[in-house]
Amino acid sequence: MKIHKRYISAFVALLLSVPAFAQVPAPAAKQSKPMLLTGATLHVGNGTVVENAAVGFDNGKITYAGPVSGANRNGHEVIDVAGQHIYPGLIQPNTQLGLEEISSVRATLDMREVGQLNPNVRAVVAYNTDSDVIPTIRANGVLLSQVTPVGGTVSGSSSIVQLDAWNWEDAVLKADEGIHLNWPNMLINTGGAPNPRLANFAQQREQAISDLAQLLRDASVYKSAKNEKENLKLSSMAGLFDGSKRLYIHANYGKEIIESVNFVKQHGIKDNIVIVGAGDAVAVADFLKANNIAVIYSGVHALPSRSDEDVDMPYKTPYLLQQAGIPFALDYDLSLHGIRNLPFIAGTAVAHGLDKEQALASITLNTAKILGIDKQVGSVEVGKDATLVVSGGDLLDMRTNNVTHAFIQGRKLDLNDKQKYLYQKFDGKYQAEAPKVEGAKAQK
Amino acid sequence: MRKILTIAACLALGAAGSAMAQETFPRNGVYDERTGLVALTNATIHTDYKTTIENATLLIRNGKVEAVGTKVQVPAGAVVVDAKGKHIYPGLVDMFSAYGLPEVKSERRNYGSPPQEESTKQGAYNWNQAIRPETNAVELFKVDKKQAEEMRKLGFGTVLSVHRDGIARGTATLVTLADKRENEVVLLDKAAGALSFDRGSSPQDYPNSLMGAIALLRQTYLDAQWNNMNPGREQNISLKAFSDANNFPQIFEADNKLNVLRADKVGDEFKKQYIIKGGGDEYQMIKEIKATNAPIIVSLNFPEAYNVEDTYDARRVSLDAMKHWEMAPANPALLQKAGIPFAITVSDLKDKKDFLPNLRKAIEYGLPEEEALKALTATPAQLLKADKHVGSLDKGKLANFIITSGNLFAEDNVILENWVQGNQYKITEVPSDYRGIYTLKIGQQPEKRLQIAGTPDKPELKVIGQDTVTGKISFSGNLVTLSFTKDKKSKETVRLSGWYADKNLQGDGQLPDATPVKWSAKFSEAMTQQAKKDAAKEAKKALELGNMVYPFQAFGQAELPKQETVLIKNATVWTNEKDGILQNTDVLLKNGKIAKVGKNLSESGARIVDGTGKHVTPGIIDEHSHIALDGVNEGTQAVTAEVRMKDVVNHEDPNIYRQLAGGVTTSQLLHGSANPIGGQSAIIKLRWGKSPQEMLVENADEFIKFALGENVKHSNRSPVHNVRFPQTRMGVEQVYVDAFQRAKEYEQTWKNYSKLSKKQKAAQGEPRRDIELETLVEILNNKRFITCHSYVQSEINMMMKVADQMGFKVNTFTHILEGYKVADKMRDHGAGGSTFSDWWAYKMEVKDAIPQNAGIMHKLGVTTAINSDDAEMARRLNQEAAKSVKYAGVSEEDALKMVTLNPAKLLHLDNRMGSIKPGKDADVVLWNNHPLSIYARAEKTFVDGIAYYDLERDTQLRQELEKERGRLVQKMLQAKTSGARTQAPAQRRASVVHCEDVEHNEEEEYLAY
Repeated sequence: MKIHKRYISAFVALLLSVPAFAQVPAPAAKQSKPMLLTGATLHVGNGTVVENAAVGFDNGKITYAGPVSGANRNGHEVIDVAGQHIYPGLIQPNTQLGLEEISSVRATLDMREVGQLNPNVRAVVAYNTDSDVIPTIRANGVLLSQVTPVGGTVSGSSSIVQLDAWNWEDAVLKADEGIHLNWPNMLINTGGAPNPRLANFAQQREQAISDLAQLLRDASVYKSAKNEKENLKLSSMAGLFDGSKRLYIHANYGKEIIESVNFVKQHGIKDNIVIVGAGDAVAVADFLKANNIAVIYSGVHALPSRSDEDVDMPYKTPYLLQQAGIPFALDYDLSLHGIRNLPFIAGTAVAHGLDKEQALASITLNTAKILGIDKQVGSVEVGKDATLVVSGGDLLDMRTNNVTHAFIQGRKLDLNDKQKYLYQKFDGKYQAEAPKVEGAKAQK
Repeated sequence: MRKILTIAACLALGAAGSAMAQETFPRNGVYDERTGLVALTNATIHTDYKTTIENATLLIRNGKVEAVGTKVQVPAGAVVVDAKGKHIYPGLVDMFSAYGLPEVKSERRNYGSPPQEESTKQGAYNWNQAIRPETNAVELFKVDKKQAEEMRKLGFGTVLSVHRDGIARGTATLVTLADKRENEVVLLDKAAGALSFDRGSSPQDYPNSLMGAIALLRQTYLDAQWNNMNPGREQNISLKAFSDANNFPQIFEADNKLNVLRADKVGDEFKKQYIIKGGGDEYQMIKEIKATNAPIIVSLNFPEAYNVEDTYDARRVSLDAMKHWEMAPANPALLQKAGIPFAITVSDLKDKKDFLPNLRKAIEYGLPEEEALKALTATPAQLLKADKHVGSLDKGKLANFIITSGNLFAEDNVILENWVQGNQYKITEVPSDYRGIYTLKIGQQPEKRLQIAGTPDKPELKVIGQDTVTGKISFSGNLVTLSFTKDKKSKETVRLSGWYADKNLQGDGQLPDATPVKWSAKFSEAMTQQAKKDAAKEAKKALELGNMVYPFQAFGQAELPKQETVLIKNATVWTNEKDGILQNTDVLLKNGKIAKVGKNLSESGARIVDGTGKHVTPGIIDEHSHIALDGVNEGTQAVTAEVRMKDVVNHEDPNIYRQLAGGVTTSQLLHGSANPIGGQSAIIKLRWGKSPQEMLVENADEFIKFALGENVKHSNRSPVHNVRFPQTRMGVEQVYVDAFQRAKEYEQTWKNYSKLSKKQKAAQGEPRRDIELETLVEILNNKRFITCHSYVQSEINMMMKVADQMGFKVNTFTHILEGYKVADKMRDHGAGGSTFSDWWAYKMEVKDAIPQNAGIMHKLGVTTAINSDDAEMARRLNQEAAKSVKYAGVSEEDALKMVTLNPAKLLHLDNRMGSIKPGKDADVVLWNNHPLSIYARAEKTFVDGIAYYDLERDTQLRQELEKERGRLVQKMLQAKTSGARTQAPAQRRASVVHCEDVEHNEEEEYLAY
C-alpha cells in the first residue's frame, strides 16, 4: 500500500509540474530589461548570415544585430546561445488559424460569411487567441500570421497578428491591411462528361465578374462623392484605390492570374496587388514580372496539378519563381495544425534548388514585404521588432529544428502547449509504472 | 427454337417477304401474302466475309436465301433485279445494342439523400435491386421504326438488344431491323445473358463501389448455385432467372481495359468465358486482354482531337488522352494482329453516322477489310450461336443483305439498299455519274470547257475559258443547275438551268445583265480513272503513331527498366539490422535480392553506382495507402468483408511513379473507413509499368481493414445519414460481436455438414456459401489479419476486448492517434500501431492527438510505423519519421525503421523486406543526403533490383514527354485545320483519396468560358 501511495503522489506531483493544465500558456509580459543573445549563427532574413553573432533588444525593438565582438553587454540580460541559430520569427500568410478550431465542428468555424461580396467583413474580430493550435505552431518558430477570411467572390479583410496575445486587439500588428478576392474559377469539376452544370457555371462566372466590375466601379468613386448614407461595402474598399490597402487575388490557373490582374487594373487598382495560391505562377512568370506582381505560393507539399507535370513541380516552384525574378512568399495551406511545418516547406524548396537563405526569406522578409509589414518585422535588423526565434539547429529541417527560445516584440514566450502537456501526462504515467512492471517481471 | 422453325416451315404460303408470319393474328380484309421471290442478278456477291463471287445471282424467297451463285436458275415468277456493277454483302450484325428497349434512367439519388439499405422492389425477387436477371429484353422490346431506320442506313440488319441496366441484367434478345410486328422480327427470344459492374437504375446503396459490384456478382453466382441445389429453402425469382440466363452466351459490359480483366477474372471463378464489351482502349494492355481468351465487342468510339490552340489550356490535356486520341483507331487492328476474336458495335457512337467513317479509319490504321467484315457478320453471329440465321448469305439463312455501289469500305461507296428478312429498304438513290469534260456553248459566246469532277453525289464544277472559274453544280434527277462567275475577277454570276439527255446537258439561262440565253454542254471525254481516284481519296499520308508506353500514362515507357546486378559502392548503409548504420559500405543487388553487404565488394558484370557521400536505406513501406485504386470505400453496409481491394488495383495512377521518386517501394492499399468491417487489402510493390496483377506482392499474408469512431458512425455526414446502425461507439462494439458470432456459427455449420455421410449431405443440401462470413472465419483462423482505423482510447480498448472475447488478435491499429494513452494495453495485446507523425485537431476525435504518439508507443514496445493515408505525404515518409526524433527523442535508426522495417513487420513481410540483409528483396533507395533530412532526395529507387525510379532517367523522360506532347499537339492542330471535330481540353484525374472519402471520384475539369 505504501508503494502505491508513493506512486500516486509522484503522479500528482508530475501533473502539478505541468503548468496551467493544458490551457494555452499565458502571454509573456512586456520586455522589462534589455536582452542580448550571444554566440549564435544569425540568419538575418535578407540573405545575410553572421557567424558568432549577437542580437540585442530593448523595449521590444532590436538594438543590435551583428558580430558578438561589437555587442554592448552593459545592462543586458545575456543569454548564451552559442552553437545555435537565430532567425526572424516566421510569418504564415493567408491562414484561418484562430478563426477555425476543429474543422468538422461547425460551431468552431468563423472564417466564411454568406454572400458573394463582403469587403467590409473583418477577420480579426473573430480571431481566437486561445486556440489550442496556436501554441503548437509557435513552438516550431512561426510567430506571426495573416488572419484571412474565405468564401464568396470578395471574402473580406485580413489582418496581421502576432501569436502571443490576450485578445485580438492585443494581437494586432496591422489591422485590415488587405482585401481578398477569389477570382471566379475558369475550371469546373463536373465529375463526369460535360453536362448542363457547365453552361450554368459559365453563366454564374460571368455574373460574378460583372457584379465585381460594378462593385469596383462604384467603390472607386465612392470617396469623392458626398454620400448621404454610408455604404459599408464601398467605404471599406477605399484603400484599394489609394494604395493603402492590398488586394490579394486568389487564383491558381495561369489564365485566371492574367485575367484577374488585367481586370482589377482596368478597374482602377494599380498597386499592391498580390496573387495568392498561384499554382501556375511559373507558367505566367513573364506576365507577373511585367506587371510587378508579387506571389504568395500555396502548397509546396502538394502533388503536381497535372499528370504530365514533373513529379517535383510543386517542390521546385519556389526555386523557379526565384530564377524568374518574381517576388514570392510561401504559405502552408494543407491544414491549420500543419502550419508548424511552414519551415519545412521552405526546406523542401532548398532540396529542390533554392538557396537556404532565400528559402528563409520566403517565410520571413519576403512575406513581410508582400504583406507590407517589413518596416516592423521580417528580418533581424536594428529598429525592427524583436520577434525572433532561436533554434538548436537548422530551423528549416525537421531533423534539426529545435526552438529553444522565441521572442515576440522582446517578450520571451512560454513554448508549452497542450500536446506537450498530454505527452508529459502519459509519459509520466508509464514512467511511474515502469518500475512496477519490471518488478513484476523480476518476481516471475 | 422449335417453334420458330415450325412457323418458318409454314411460310410456303408466303408472307410479304417475311421470315415469319403472324399466323395467330386475325386479318381485317383479305389476305395479302406474297412469296417475295426475288432474283438479284449480275452482282458481285460477298456471301461471307471471305468469299466473293463475281457476276452472281442471289435468289430469295419468303425472307430467306434460296440460292446464291453463278449458276442459279431464276425460277418463273421471280422478280428479277439487275444488280450489275453492284455489290451485295450480308446484312451487318451489332451484338451490343439497346434497340427497341426502354431508356435506362439512373435513379441514383444525390449525396444528401438518406441511405437505402433494402430493396424497394416488391415481389419474390433478389435482395439487391442491381441484380435483375428476371429481366428478359424480349419482354420489353418494341419495334422502333426511327431507330431501325437509323441502323439500317448504316448497313445493319440484325442486332442484339441488351437492356443495359444493373449488374445482372437478365437476357438479351436477337432481333432484325425489319419494320414488322415484334412477333416477326424476334429471331432468338433469349440469345444471351447480360452482366456488368454498373448498378444501373437501382436506388439501393449497395454496392456503391466497383469492388462492391464485383463482390455482389460473385455472391450472386454462389446464391444462385445454392438456390438451385436447395430449391425449397428460399423462393427467389431472381436467382432462378440468373441460373437460366447462365445457359446462354454471357455478354459482360466493361467500359475500360481494366474492367475487361476484372470481368474475366469473375468469369474464371465461375467457369464462364464471357464475351466482353470493351471501351476501345484494349490495345493498351493487349497482352493481358489476349490472356483472358475473351472475345471482345469493340467500340468504334474514337475520341475527337482536343482543341489545343490555346497553349495554357492545352497543358491541361494529359499525355495519355492525347496518345489515346492518336491510337484509338488502331485498336481494332491491334486486336486482330494479336489474334483476339472481336465483334464491332456502334453502340458507343454519339453520332451513329460516324460508323462507316470510323470503320474506314480503323482499316486505314491496319485492320484488313476482310476482318472488318468478319467482325460485323460471322463473328457476332457465331458468338450468339445465330450463325444459322445471319452472318452470311448461304441457303436457308435470312435474306438480310445490303446492296452497295462498290466496295463497302471504300470512301466513295454508297449503301443503296438494305434488305431485312426479304424486305427491301431503299437507303440511297443511285447518284448518276455525270463527271467528265463537256464543251460549253452559251448563246453566241465562244466555246468553253466545262469540267465536272468531285464525287458522283457531290460533283464539283470548273468552267475553263480565258481563265478558269469554279462554280456550283447540282443535279436533281436529270435536272441540272449551274452557276459561276463571268470571269475570275468578276462578282457577276452566270446562271444556267437545264436537263440531261444523251450524255449532254442543255437548257436556258440568264447572263449577269439579265439577258436570257440558250446553252448546251456536249460531252467530250469521261473523267480519267486517276482523276476519279484523286477525287475519292485525299492524298493519304503515311500513318505515324507514337510508341506504346507502359503504363499508358505520362512517365510510362516503351521499354521497362530491367533487373540488373548493381553494386553500390562506398555509401552510408542503414541496415536496420544489428550492424546498425555502416559507413563506407558496399551493397550488391543481384537477381532481385540483396546479395552482399560489406566493404570493398566486387562483382564482375555489375553496374557500379558510386555511393560516396550518399545513403542507402531499405525501401519505404507505407502501411496505409489509397493510391492505385479504382475505388476506396464500399461505404454502405456496416460489414463489407466480402470486398477486395485486389479487384480494383489501377496500375496507371501517376502517384505510383511520384512515390517511387520519394523512395516508396511497397504499399498496403486499404479499404476506406466508412464501416466497422471494411474490405480486404491489397499489398503492392510499386512496379511502375507492370499490370495490377504483377504489382501484387507474391504470397503475402492477407489483411483486412476495420474502422472505429466518427467515420463509421457517420458523425461528419449530413443528418440524413443518421440511420445506419451503428451511430455510436456503443453500437460499433455490437457490430463486431454480432459479425464474429455469425462467423463462428457459419464455420460450425460447414464443419457439421462436412462430417455428414454422402447420403446425409444429399438429403440435407449444402449450406449457403457466404463470402462475407468466409472472410471473417479467416480472421478467426489466423489466415487474415486486421488493420484497424482508430483514434480514441475507449474504442481502441474496446476493439482489443472484443478480439479477446471472440478469439482473434488485432494485428495493427492504424492512425491510432490516442495510442499513447493505451500503449501498454496495445503492447500486452500484441497489436502494432501505424500512425501519423503530427496530424491533429481536424476533427473531434483527434483533438488529443500528439506528435509524440509514435515515440511513446515505440518506447512501450509496440511495433510502431508512420503511415501516409495521403498520396502526397507518402513521398516524404522518411521526413515524417524524422519528426519522431524531433518531438519524442526517438533515435534516428529507430525512426527510419518506422517507415521501413516496422511496417514490414506489421505486414508480415519482414522476412523479405525492411532491412539491408543478404537474401532479402532488393528494395532499396539511394539518397543524396541523410535520409531523415528535409534535404534528402531519392536518386534511385530499386524494387526487386530494378531501378523503377532513377533521377537521371527521369530527366530524360521529362524531355521525351515534352517532345511527344509537342508532336501530338501539332498533329491535333493539323486535324483541326483539315476539318476534324474537336473537343474542349478537359483534365481527367482521379481525385486524391483518403480513407474518409466515401465515394471515389474521377474528376473532370472543364473550361467554363
